[in-house]
Amino acid sequence: MTGMSASRTASASGRRLPLAAVVALLGLVLAGCTVGTDYESTPLPEPSRGDAAPPPAAATQAPDCGNPLASYAPQGALPGPGSLPAGSTMAKIRKRGRLVAGVSADTLLWGSRNPFTGRIEGFDIDVLRAVAQAILGSEDKIEFRVITTSQRISALQNGDVDIVARTMTINCARWADIAFSAEYYRAGQKILVRKGSGVRDIGGLAKRRVCAPKGSTSLDNLRKEQPTALPMPADTHTGCLVLFQQGRVDAITGDDAILAGLAAQDPYAEVVGAAFSEEPYGLGISKDNQDLVRFVNGVLERMRRDGEWRRVYDRWLRADLGPAPAPPDPVYGRRP
Amino acid sequence: MTNLASPPAAGAPGVVRRQVAAVVARVREQMDGTPGRLRRAAVLAVLVALVFGVTGGQAFRLRADAISAARDDAAQLVRLQTIHTDLVRADASATNAFLVGGLEPAEQRAEYVEALDSAARLVSEAARAQPADADALGVLNAHLLEYSGLVESARANNRQGYPVGAQYLRDAGSLLRSEALPILAALVDANEQRVADAFRFAGLSWAWLLVGSLLALAVLTAVMVWLARRTRRVLNPPLTVAGVAVLLGALVGTIAMIDVQGDVDRVRDGPYAASVAVARARIAAFDAKSNESLTLIARGSGAAFEQTWQESSARAAEQTERLAGLDVDDQDLPEVLGEWTKRHAEIRAKDDGGSWDAAVTLATSTGKGSSNAVFDSFDARSRWVLEKTSGETADRLSDPGPRMGVIGLLALVIGLLAGVCAWWGFALRLEEYR
Repeated sequence: MTGMSASRTASASGRRLPLAAVVALLGLVLAGCTVGTDYESTPLPEPSRGDAAPPPAAATQAPDCGNPLASYAPQGALPGPGSLPAGSTMAKIRKRGRLVAGVSADTLLWGSRNPFTGRIEGFDIDVLRAVAQAILGSEDKIEFRVITTSQRISALQNGDVDIVARTMTINCARWADIAFSAEYYRAGQKILVRKGSGVRDIGGLAKRRVCAPKGSTSLDNLRKEQPTALPMPADTHTGCLVLFQQGRVDAITGDDAILAGLAAQDPYAEVVGAAFSEEPYGLGISKDNQDLVRFVNGVLERMRRDGEWRRVYDRWLRADLGPAPAPPDPVYGRRP
Repeated sequence: MTNLASPPAAGAPGVVRRQVAAVVARVREQMDGTPGRLRRAAVLAVLVALVFGVTGGQAFRLRADAISAARDDAAQLVRLQTIHTDLVRADASATNAFLVGGLEPAEQRAEYVEALDSAARLVSEAARAQPADADALGVLNAHLLEYSGLVESARANNRQGYPVGAQYLRDAGSLLRSEALPILAALVDANEQRVADAFRFAGLSWAWLLVGSLLALAVLTAVMVWLARRTRRVLNPPLTVAGVAVLLGALVGTIAMIDVQGDVDRVRDGPYAASVAVARARIAAFDAKSNESLTLIARGSGAAFEQTWQESSARAAEQTERLAGLDVDDQDLPEVLGEWTKRHAEIRAKDDGGSWDAAVTLATSTGKGSSNAVFDSFDARSRWVLEKTSGETADRLSDPGPRMGVIGLLALVIGLLAGVCAWWGFALRLEEYR
């Protein structure tokens, strides 16, 4: 009210500048009454997640390495823990007091942490125990380093671990970076789908979202065998199982032995079709430690010979994959 | 003055125009000649007196508003920082429980549930308290639902002995870190800025009083000098009273302003700064705590988590060390954190030395003097400091409000009185022209 009448007075005596200024100030003061606590909506940070499309497969030509299964032959009889050659990698491990091994902690049947005991166990772990027994005289002297699928090679190259036992396929591309033991298990790649999905083999996965671990041969094989499938990489097979259970992928592909462990955790999942690849597993060891490769091959020889290999198979795989086949025959003759 | 130009009642446009023209003509006539000049001066004097009243009242009102905004925004900030702490705390409990293996210990499960409940309650409380935060809090809420779903999947699988449970837990943790916590960080930033703005605005409100007072005093003085020359009377008593009233009002107002500003500054640099520091310390410490567990869970591949531990614990230490300088009882928080850092070093030494199991035993034991016990002590003490300082901030910022209201009203009354006096002073002179 005051403002209105004041402005009329002002227009009536508009010639007087100070009066006009005073009135203007008054108006400003009244206008200022509403300045206060109305804030703009708090901005959200930029979204960071998203099932981003994976980078296209690097079409690298695998280097020729002869027969990839060929490893370095054991030299003579396996030395006992007390008589390891001086200066050898095994002697260094013995001096350190523990074998440092890169493993998986969530691949059921191969290397997984038992929630009840907190211990890591599985086929791969039992093979490592035999190696630890041979070097250190105790199968418990192992320091486990839990690594993802794609960390397997770098962990060896950086010298973080002595040995990797993590369902690792022997192939020429990997021989370029690391060395392998002789083959200790023969797996084949299959697919895991929802029960009742109607998909019976890899042909049924056209344009479906299929999960496989980053840096695995499974992912490469999938791109080869079913180029129209949409590959969805995860860090590990178990990461794939989470995506599968959340309905974010339609299928998982991987080695039959690994998929069996995934299916065991989900009654609505099943492994279907025939194997469409051969996956020979070997223990990964640094290229610089050929003496360790030869030694480990000696340990594997003994395991095959004295029935240890079969006992390990029966303990972990028999229930899901049936009676033990004959252990793979070793191939040697790789030249350093 | 209102009667000079009261708006005509509604009527036909012609009638209104004629009435307005008549009023304008009458005003013109009133403002002509020597009496007219006197009247014009009188109107000016009355106006500036009123301007003083309004600007003075406004200054105090704005200041009261700004202070209560600072109080509310500071309370919101504490709420958001508590949500942040609760979430990191829930995650630390969940990951530490996972390390134990098997079924998680009942008390750690209870702690997780309590922390998540508290966060959920505070989210809805915060959305009501600050509507500007509601959208962001809505998105946060969706992430929390997803997070707790993942943790429950982890538990369900873990109970059946399936290793996929661990993966669900990892996914839950990374969802929290990559999605939920950045939203909270944005909310905390926005509210810290609001508090800072409110404090600055409280300081600026003094300008209204200053400008109003100076203008009123200058114009009243000029009018008095002009009148004294024109009428050859040295003093016009009512006008002088008006001037003195404005002068006194301005002085009292300024003193009150400075006094309150002192109080507000002391709150800002004392309990408020302390509550922000201790809240930051808590967030950083709980973050370090879950990274300690994550380092062990990653088992040999946890170098990045240990790096985060180093950064977070350094941040927590830096914030707790600020407390002593803020004149706040810091409950020996820096020492407790130092103790916890030593426990952490022991855990790392075991793990790096290849004794993972021994490291886990150290990290999960809850006995006296254990890492968890020392951390619980930090939690309890820092919570006490946070409650004390944030409570003090709210109390002390509630104080000046009523006082500001009374003084603002006083300024308005003084302005009105001064206006009446000014008019009266001119009326005395105008009498002489009748």
